[in-house]
Parts: sequence; structure tokens; C-alpha cells
Amino acid sequence: MRRGPILALLGIGTLAGGIAAAVALFLPWLPPVASTQRARMDEVFWFVVVICIVIFAIVVAALVYSVLRFRAAPDDDSDGPPIHGHTGLEIVWTLVPTVLVTAIGIFSAIVLARNDALGSNPLRINVTAQQFAWSFTYPEAKNLTTGTLRLPINRSVLLTFTSKDVIHSFWVPEFGQKQDTVPGLHTTLHITPTRVGTYPVICTELCGLGHAVMRSTAIVMERGAFAKWLKSQTAATSSPSTAVSGAAVFKNNPCGSCHTLTAAGSTGKIGPDLDKLPQYAQEAGQPLEQFIHTSIVDPNAYVQKGYPKNVMPPFANLPKAQLDALVQYLIQSSKKG
Amino acid sequence: MTATTADHDAHTPVPQQRGTARRLLLGPGWIRAVSIAALFGAIGFGIVVVLRWWGGWHPILDGQPLVLVSGLVAAPLGFLAGIGTFDYWTYYALGHPTRPEDHSSHGARSWRDYFRVNTDHKVIGVQYLVTTVIFFLIGGLLAMLMRAELARPGMQFFDTQTFNGLFSVHASLMIFLFVIPAFAGLANFAVPLMLGAADMAFPRLNALSFWLLPIAGLMMVLSFVVPGGAFACGWTGYAPLCSTHQPMGAIFFNQGVQWAGASSIMTALNFLVTIITMRAPGMTFWRMPLLVWANFTTSLLVVIATPFIAGSQFFSMFDHVMHTSFFDASNGGYPLGYQHIFWFYSHPAVYIMMLPGFGIMSEVIAVFSRKPIFGYRLMALSLMAIVVLGFSVWAHHMFVSGMASWLRVPMMVTTLLIAVPTGIKIFSWLATIWEGKLHFNTPFLFALGFLSMFVIGGLSGVMLGAVPIDIHVSDTYFIVAHIHYVLFGGSVFTIFAGMYYWFPKMTGRMYNETLGKLHFWLTFIGFNLTFFPMHLIGIEGMPRRVADYAPKFAGINMFISLASFGFGASVLVFLYNMITSWRHGPIAPSNPWRALTLEWQVSSPPPTFNFTEIPQVVGSPYEYGVPGAQHAILAPTRAHETEEAEVPVS
Repeated sequence: MRRGPILALLGIGTLAGGIAAAVALFLPWLPPVASTQRARMDEVFWFVVVICIVIFAIVVAALVYSVLRFRAAPDDDSDGPPIHGHTGLEIVWTLVPTVLVTAIGIFSAIVLARNDALGSNPLRINVTAQQFAWSFTYPEAKNLTTGTLRLPINRSVLLTFTSKDVIHSFWVPEFGQKQDTVPGLHTTLHITPTRVGTYPVICTELCGLGHAVMRSTAIVMERGAFAKWLKSQTAATSSPSTAVSGAAVFKNNPCGSCHTLTAAGSTGKIGPDLDKLPQYAQEAGQPLEQFIHTSIVDPNAYVQKGYPKNVMPPFANLPKAQLDALVQYLIQSSKKG
Repeated sequence: MTATTADHDAHTPVPQQRGTARRLLLGPGWIRAVSIAALFGAIGFGIVVVLRWWGGWHPILDGQPLVLVSGLVAAPLGFLAGIGTFDYWTYYALGHPTRPEDHSSHGARSWRDYFRVNTDHKVIGVQYLVTTVIFFLIGGLLAMLMRAELARPGMQFFDTQTFNGLFSVHASLMIFLFVIPAFAGLANFAVPLMLGAADMAFPRLNALSFWLLPIAGLMMVLSFVVPGGAFACGWTGYAPLCSTHQPMGAIFFNQGVQWAGASSIMTALNFLVTIITMRAPGMTFWRMPLLVWANFTTSLLVVIATPFIAGSQFFSMFDHVMHTSFFDASNGGYPLGYQHIFWFYSHPAVYIMMLPGFGIMSEVIAVFSRKPIFGYRLMALSLMAIVVLGFSVWAHHMFVSGMASWLRVPMMVTTLLIAVPTGIKIFSWLATIWEGKLHFNTPFLFALGFLSMFVIGGLSGVMLGAVPIDIHVSDTYFIVAHIHYVLFGGSVFTIFAGMYYWFPKMTGRMYNETLGKLHFWLTFIGFNLTFFPMHLIGIEGMPRRVADYAPKFAGINMFISLASFGFGASVLVFLYNMITSWRHGPIAPSNPWRALTLEWQVSSPPPTFNFTEIPQVVGSPYEYGVPGAQHAILAPTRAHETEEAEVPVS
């Protein structure tokens, strides 16, 4: 090949690669890093992105150069040179990609193995997924259960997932870790948080009508603050007063992700508006207290018009004290609203 | 269609026989199709009622078994019997005299012949393409509705049930009723001609395969109007969400997939037998055009893999309707089992949706570059390599599913290795274009668009192959971007290229080149503006399949929605061009592209039985620029006269 085409190819390739690199570098692709696992994932990400940009630049250079250089004149009916192949070239573009993907594979396998390795003295948390909420249980703290995930910084965490109904998936973009929760299986995930902050917990596996609102929050705390929080929560659960407890039951269960209730500040729209409970009870022809109670333990007994059946899971397993507190709380809140 | 009619103007119509009314009612056709469908539907209904009454259940309280047996199984079978797909086989089975040289249902003499059971592969090819374009439009419309809802966070136009139904039906239509069968349609038209054969090996089976398609498509679309709404569990239909937590619409998906899958398998068998046994003398495997190679390898994938999705959908439907527990963990079922079986089909399905496009690309790129395909044998072998590797990568869809964790690294290695044969193809096409004499007609523009877009889709595929990256981005908008770069930038661009390329051969008329180019540029720009930003929001943290999203993604989603409306509107240019050119376009010469493959050596449209005499193949189909090279020797063309003589008189 003469020097002209090589220079032109280099020029177009550099331009294409430069544009791709600018897109990669100047757009805010990745959310902030908040775990060691995410930091390692980012290394693989940038390694692969660099390879991809080089390949993309080569292809674009060849393509654009050909389009500019080899256009036939409108009246040119001749054929191109009858080149049938070139064994050397074919070997090159078989071997080079093989080497590149092998390198990606080895790098990824190493990172995967390190991300799977659990640190010493891990904090164990059991995560329960159900339509459409997360709950987090701390076996170390008398099975304290919350709707928000709180983690101490720089401590290895082992999450063990179970699902009550369908498959969900736990994802915190800043942790770079994701795991499906499968009914009948106990799946696990390792996270070592490295940055104090508040991050979204997102369900990424389509799990039904409330999938988009199946969100929670992960809060990474300094170790001292975490220990203090754990202690205060453990103390609080042992001395409940009715009114406070009703609000807490509402909050610690997934009610708010589907239902609107002004008193609790929830705005879910999957299920009926709980501010209108007295009106619904009237339409159903039942006393308010009985109506609320039945609707919680056996939601399909009466389904408000305009809402589908079989969406709300029955909460028949709530302890009686909590259930009664929740019913009283809803009566008071809805009458106010 | 008009061109075909024009050819046959001189032909004496088949004389009307006695008992016209009786034939109208009882002969194969739409009246009989509707009445037998109703009859079969009623029988199905009756069987369910009687069996339920006998078994001690309430006979009609549970609508699902009734709808399933009567509406989704019996009535479609009745429709097929009524329209006439089984007539010949029924005669044969009942011992009636068969008519070995009966070509009464072969070829199209007027537009009506496209609306009945027709055994001519060229008519079937056009039937496939028109049907699939209709479902493409419906699927596209659903996508527009989806983007309207997604333009702003929060809920605006639809409830979640409808929204989830929109994306589920959109994907199912595009995959099962557009990309896969549109390729089958193009290949149906082109492959027998390219092989030098008079038709497919089993023309009646070919007709049956086509008529299964509208049934499958209608089922998926109609699921919107059944009580409870459409299936809302995604086209992947993961259990147990789809098998136990869905309204009745779910069984419309389960059954729709069965009908489309059956159609696919029959067509693939037909292609395999045709390609193996009906090649013209001298057409060795190494002289086959790469489109034929591509459909040979695709058919291998279809025949081996499709039964797996059939199995997964049967199990899922049994769980739904008959309360079995294949995937119900609380009764000993195994939800991940569904995913393994499903992806054992659905990953090879990605190649089923890609390899025929590779074939089209090889034809278009060689012809419009006026050069032989670079490295022909390696191109064919890389297709075979993709088939083999394609069966060993399914679990890369399941890196975060909770399957056995050791499975991830081997699946990653095989997944990454598929980039090698795919890369060989890309580089060989580039080398084919290099130093060619490029003619920028619409098919070639779409081919170049394919090359650039498919490279992006392939590279994001390599990123997804690396397990740590996949863990971060799986089930996010990054996946949505990736699959659209592969399936639209890849497959749909090649379908457009193929439709423009063979349009003159199919219709006998030329399409409008200016409108074709306008269509390409609108599609190319609209496509990139719509799908490229999705990479970004995916990595940043927006999950897919959500109607509502975090406010920080509002701006970019509004941008995507606006771009997608422009992108959607570009299809109107395509439609206008196809319809007006089909009716009034300039008459096409037999070989407008000066191509060497056999379909261009006969008239446009080809005679009913393709060739006066079976051609003798003497060389490669891509010998552009080789002085004196010939692909095949054909009998002297007297297409019009021979066609007249060959039309059977019944």
C-alpha cells in the first residue's frame, strides 16, 4: 500500500477514536464509586472500553475512507479488482481478536474471583424481597428488621436473599453489585462499602405492576454511628406505644410503595388511595375497622373498583399486636386525611 | 402485484365450473376458514365443559381452560383446515386419488391469489413480508406509546398493567412476528431461485408455515382486549411472574409463541431439505451464495433450539392453567429451570435473527462494490462456528440469576469467543468494499449503516460478556441500547437492505431511489439519537421495564422520546415508497444490479416455475472483475412464452 492511504486511514481513525474517547471521558457514564467491588468493576470497564474504542476507530477508518475514496462514477460500469482473499490478513483478524478477548476474559475472571471473596468477620444481613418492597434483617441485632439498608463503612457485608413471591433483583449502582432473589433459593452477595452516603436500592428484575416503585435506600454510615443506630433500634423495638408502632408497622412493611397515605408521606399509585378508606368501606358496605382488617389479611376478599385482583400479597402473618396497631393507625390517618 | 397481473392479462381465466356457490362455501377459502374455525372453537368449548362437569368442577366458572382449548388451540386449527392448508394431505390420508402434477394453488395471477393458500415460494415470500411489515408497524406503534409515557417521570397516559403489556407485546411482535419471519420471507423468495430450483422441497408445508404466522401475531395483539389485560411479564416471560402471577393474557403469549415456533421449525426443515437436495447440478456447497449458507446455518439453529422454547412455554402455561408446579418453588418447582430452558433457545435465537442478515449483507456488499466476497470460505466457516458456539453461551443472560456460580466463567469465555467469527465477518466485508467500485444505492446504504451500527452493538456485547460489567448493567437501559443496536442496527437494517435489493425481482418494478435514500438517512439518524443515549442512562442507574423513573433521568428521556417519534415517522417514507412503487414504479429489468447470482438471470418477476430448464452451475457466484467468469449456464431466456406454456390447465 502506498503512503497516502495509510496516512488518511490514520487520520480518520484518530478522529473517530478521539470522538469516541471524548464521549467516553466527558459524559458522566458511571455513578460515584461506593464499594471495593465497584472500584474493581470500573477497572474492567475502562480496560474493555479502551479496546472497544480502538476496534471502533479501525472499522470507522476503513469504512469512511472506502466511502470517500472508492465511489464509482455514475457511468462507470466496470468491476473492481478480483481479490478473493488474503490468508495473512485473515489469520491476523482471527488471532488478534482472539488474544484481545482472552485478555478481557482473564482480567474479568480475576476481578470476579476477588469480588466473590468474603472479608473476615462479615456483617450478615438477610434480605427479603416481596412485591413491591425490600426488608432487611440484622441477625446480629436480635433480628431487627427495617425497610432501609444501613451499612457500616469498610466492613465486609454478606447479604443473603430470599423472595416471598416472584424473582426480584437487588441493585445499588454505586456498589456495582447486583443479585436476583429467587423463590426457593438463598442467593448471596458481597459488598464492602467505602464511601459514606445515601444510595438507591433498585429492583431490576420485572416483578409485576409495582416494579418501578420497588425502591429503597442504602445508607453507608461511619462505624461508630452505625453501632449507635443499631443499639437505639434494638432498644426501641422492645417498648412500643400504640400510635407510634402503627406508623412504624406501616413504614417497615411495603405499604407505602403502592398506596398513598398523606399521614405517612407515601404517594404510591399501584393500589387504592388509603386516604379514601372510609369512602371505600362505605362502598363495600362494611364497618371501617373490619374492612381495613380484612383488606390487609385477605386482600382479594374485596377489591376496590378500578384496581386489579391478585396484586396485593396477603399480610396474614403480621403479629396480632402489629396488625391491630396498623388498623388503628389507618383509621386515624384516613379520617384526618 | 399489478406487474404479475399484467403478465397474465393474456392468459385465459380458469373456466368456472358448476356449483359455484357450493365451491364458495365448501371449497378452501375465507368463508370456510371462518365457519370451520367457529365449529372447531365450539367443539373445543364443548370438550372442556363436558370434561369439567364430569370431573366435578364447575363447568364454565374458570375461563382460562375454555379460552385456551377453544380459542387458542381448536379455533386456529379450524382456521387452518378451513383456509385449505390440509386439503391435499386429507385427500391423501382418506385414500382419494391424488393429483401429482396439480399446480392449481401455485403462483399468483391476481392480487386475490395472495390471500389464499398458495404453494409458490415466491408468493409465500411476499405473503411473509407483507404480514411481517404489518406486525412491524403494530410493534412500532406500541413502542411510540411506550415512549410517550416515558417522556416524563411519573405516570401520564397508562396504568402499569397497560404499560407493562406495551413493552411485552412490542418485543414479542418484533422478535417472533417481524425479525425472524421477515428473514424467512426473504429467504423463501430468494433461496430456491439462488439454488437453481423450481421451488422449495415441500411447497405445501411451506404454505402451512406461513398461515401459522397471522394466528400467532393475532393472539399476541388480541391479548390486549382480554379481561385483565395483555401479558405484562416481558417477552422473556420469566417464571414464576408469568406462570402464576399474570392475567389470562399470559396464555395468549404462551400459545402465540407455540404457533410462531411451529412455523419456524417447519420452514427451517424445508430450507434444510431444499438446500441439501435441490441444488442445481454443479452447485456444490462451496459454490453456494452466502445467503444460502446463512439460511442453512440458521435453519440448523432453528431446528435444534426452537423445541426448547416450546417446552418452556408449555410448562409455564401448565403452571398457569392447570396449577402444576414446574416453576412454583413453594411446591417444589425450580424457577431458574425456566430461564435455562428459555435461554437455551433464546440465545441461539439471537443468531437466528442475525445470520440471515449476514447472508443478505454478503450479497449486497459484493454486488454494489463490484468485487468478489473477501475470504468466501472463511465467511461460510465463521457462520458454522457461530452455530456451534451459539449453543454454549446461553447462561450469559443469567450471570446475576443465582445459578451455579462456577458456570459464569466458562460461559463468559465462550461468549467472548463468539466475537472472533463475528469480527472475521466484519473485517471481510470491509476488505470486500476496499478498492471496490462502490454504487451507493439504497440497499448498499443500509449495508454500510449495518456495518457501523452492528460494530457498536457487537462491542457493547463484548462489554456485556465480561461478567463484572454485566453484573452492573444487566436489566438496565444499557441492555435496551445493546439489543436495539444488534437487532435494529443489525437485523432490521439488513431486512431493509434485503427488501430494497429484491424489490425489483419480487414486484417487477423499481422502487424510488431518492425516497429510499431519504428513508435510510432518517432511519440512521433517528435510530442513533434514540438508542445511543440509552447506554448512558443504563450505566448511570436506570433499570429497564419501568414506567416511572428517578427524576434525574427526566431530561434525557424526553430527548429519547422526541427522537423516537421522528425515528418512527421515518417508516412512513418506507411504506409510501413501497406501496406507490409497487403500483406505479418503472418496470424493472431482469438484472438491475448486474448481479451474478441465479435469481437475477431470470425475468422480474420470475416465471412461475423459475427456470425454463434447471441451470448448470459452473463457478462461484461472486466472480466480479474476473474476465470471462461464469456462475451458471442457463437455457436461452424465453421467459414469457415458457411461462404461458407452463401454466397448467385444470
